[in-house]
Amino acid sequence: MVALTLAIPLASGSGVRALAAFGGGTAVVNRLALVGAFFVVFIPASFSLVLALESFVGERERTTLEVLLSTPLREAEIYAGKVAAVLAVSLTLCYGGLLVYCLVTFPGLGYFPLAILLALALSTICQVAAMVAGAVIISLNARTMRAANVMASFIILPMSIALQAEAALILIGRAEYLWAFALLMLVVAVVFLRMGFNGFSREALLARDVGLRNPWRRAVNAVRGSFEGRPGLLRLVWMRRTPMLIAAAGFPIGAVAGYLAGATNVIPANVVRPVLTSLVRTTNASGAIDEALLIFSHNVLAFVLVAALAILTAGLSGFLLTFAPGFILGFAAALTSWTFALSGIVPNGFVEIPAAIIAGGLAIQIGAAAIHMDPSGGWTARVLAAFADYVRALRWLVPALAVASVLEVLLG
Amino acid sequence: MLEVDGLAKRYGEVLALRDLSVRVDEGECLVLLGRNGAGKTTALRCMAGVLLPSAGNVKVDGIDAADDPAAVRALVGLMPEVPGLYERMSARSYLDHFGAIYDLEPSLRTRRIGELLELFELADAGDRWLGTYSKGMRQKVALIRATLHRPRLVLADEPTSALDPDSARRAWNYLKDLQKDGCALVICTHSMEEAENLAGDIGIMSAGRALAVGSIVELRRRSGLKTHQEVRELPSLQDIYLAIVGNGAAEHELAETRSA
Repeated sequence: MVALTLAIPLASGSGVRALAAFGGGTAVVNRLALVGAFFVVFIPASFSLVLALESFVGERERTTLEVLLSTPLREAEIYAGKVAAVLAVSLTLCYGGLLVYCLVTFPGLGYFPLAILLALALSTICQVAAMVAGAVIISLNARTMRAANVMASFIILPMSIALQAEAALILIGRAEYLWAFALLMLVVAVVFLRMGFNGFSREALLARDVGLRNPWRRAVNAVRGSFEGRPGLLRLVWMRRTPMLIAAAGFPIGAVAGYLAGATNVIPANVVRPVLTSLVRTTNASGAIDEALLIFSHNVLAFVLVAALAILTAGLSGFLLTFAPGFILGFAAALTSWTFALSGIVPNGFVEIPAAIIAGGLAIQIGAAAIHMDPSGGWTARVLAAFADYVRALRWLVPALAVASVLEVLLG
Repeated sequence: MLEVDGLAKRYGEVLALRDLSVRVDEGECLVLLGRNGAGKTTALRCMAGVLLPSAGNVKVDGIDAADDPAAVRALVGLMPEVPGLYERMSARSYLDHFGAIYDLEPSLRTRRIGELLELFELADAGDRWLGTYSKGMRQKVALIRATLHRPRLVLADEPTSALDPDSARRAWNYLKDLQKDGCALVICTHSMEEAENLAGDIGIMSAGRALAVGSIVELRRRSGLKTHQEVRELPSLQDIYLAIVGNGAAEHELAETRSA
């Protein structure tokens, strides 16, 4: 790891200098220098995943875990120690590599993008922290190293998307975008660290592998059990009033944000206008029934996607279910008038918006269940119960969407 | 020193331990005997404050393990069945690391580590990586680690299973010395010789519960075995154990436990 950390920056830096020496254009050399910095930081950062994955499950396989857990160290100390140990190694390698790269690349180049390099350094900390915290959660819950490696795809795939986004932001060359990226990664890291702290359990780590037979039967029983004894819709809305309120707040917040975005031209109208146009005239369907069916199917698809994405977005998709229509409404109002914009959602909105608030609230609850871990376990049961509530609510929400689509076609 | 009352531990559907009640005073030793899967290791983990009881309670020096498990762990030295050593550390640095976790002063732990490595004939190998150690050497290091901080209660799971007879005797003497200093011991073993050598009280476990707890004299009386007439010899602990556990009884009780 150390050799790679030194070799890659040396090779990358030498390549950039060679390009500059042999007459590469300034713009190209400068962009390449930035991409090289990202590259040399990324390679050691990826080592952190390997180290973090084996933090607990590796000790378990080497049979050293019981000894560690029998010490007076508290759960938080052991967890923090594991995370800190991985972070220390990974960040030392990241910054060592970046330092070597900077020393090789920039002297005499006439270009030193300090703001972007600082932003890159910060976003690296946050990104590595997010990866490490996520991988440690996997390590806590996996029974074997092989299982941990398979489960690591839950970290690798989202992180590869995040890295592509970061690479694009570096190429854009605006430091403030990287700061925003670092902030997002920080939030993800904090959520994962909190999950790890809350979910750490000596019991679970040392529990015998009992009751693990018949996985399909257990899965079916768990799904079936999640539907048993769930409350009816009205009681559910009352029980989940906090996420419902958050979802309800999404609509006016979105409307205000959309109006401000339209009025201040933060988002150019020519970007949003095609969306608005397509929403006003959703289809080229010939008859009213076809049009109603198309609107209905779009809305049902949106509700299904929101639930499916809730677990990955920590419930943000539920908030967006009300925020996005509100934003579009506000934006339309900024371009035209509130009266005109509101006329587009009346009367179907009287049915659609409450349905979206309920679906959004339940999706937020799914996200909340997904990011909540408890030492006594029960994560799967809680998430399944939240999904079960959503599915049960669809019995009412789908007919409501059908009514809304008919209203939209006939009266909208 | 150790009070266990109605201890039960459940792993999912399996009741690994039920209604265990024992008491070990300062300087006393309780030996737990039983087949594999009888619940001995689970009992030790509960007594060490590593696992929380599903029912009942465990008190070490008056501290309830459920209320303050970290305080209990600080008073206990646990030697699991598998030594569980960090193979890329030398014995000295490994023991020093654990001494630091137990807040031993650097000078004190250096002195104790030196003394104990000497006692267990590991002084010359003390700077070698633990990965190069034999099974017996690892077990000795594990015993040193468990007792380095002079715990009030030592819990050892088969502490001499990998040791040669001479080393085993040395380990027993060391444990007896700890006892003399007021340390309470709970030892799980399959070795009747070890049990007879160390035990004050003996607990015979099967299918998660204690079938009998008492001194060897009490257990002999309970087993109903008479003195061997031909040789005028008292029945051995092996005889008593087999009489109490009985052939096939454990399997029957295991099935009963699972159904419970």
